Amino acid sequence: MEDITLFLVRYLHVLSGIMWIGILWYFNFVQIPCMAKIPADQKPAISKVIAPEALFWFRWGAAFTVLFGLILAWMNGYIHEALTLQRPDIGFGMWLGLIMAFNVWFVIWPAQKIALGLVEADAEAKPKAGRRAMLFSRANTLMSIPMLFSMISGQNPTGLY
Amino acid sequence: MSKILESLSMTIVAGIVLTILMVIATHEIDKMNQSNVHKAISDIQQKMN
Repeated sequence: MEDITLFLVRYLHVLSGIMWIGILWYFNFVQIPCMAKIPADQKPAISKVIAPEALFWFRWGAAFTVLFGLILAWMNGYIHEALTLQRPDIGFGMWLGLIMAFNVWFVIWPAQKIALGLVEADAEAKPKAGRRAMLFSRANTLMSIPMLFSMISGQNPTGLY
Repeated sequence: MSKILESLSMTIVAGIVLTILMVIATHEIDKMNQSNVHKAISDIQQKMN
């Protein structure tokens, strides 16, 4: 019973993680670079339709990845060692994931609500918010690289340490 | 920092650099943990003798 529960929690953690990081990389590798090439009259297709929908799955993917990840660490008995970096192989990855999830919910999503006109804001506030969302999304892309390395090395010894 | 983040390729390079730093830090922390364990075992053995 324990084995299947552990497996299911890990499965749900990876599923939500793919939702989260997949959309993060879509934003950074596809949407942001392509926005400049889209004619102005067609941009609302992104800002009014695609981006809000993508952001919904993105932020909830992040939330559930963290939730299932913490449950997994607790079930495996290493949550304290990992978060205090006594087990740095998975601990660094967990901290990077927590910082990234914080960025999603407390920086990127609030900034995107302003940039996309989902909440009332001054005309000046929109481009600033758009830039803030972009920079923090890029920062998350940067952190996703070591985060995924750590996650995989926690399960598959690299021989590096 | 924003100059790096404005460029996707620089962002990826920075991510790889951070990964290498993380591997080095992990190795050092592991080494420190192992030497703490060895020291603890050695202390216990000395007390027994």
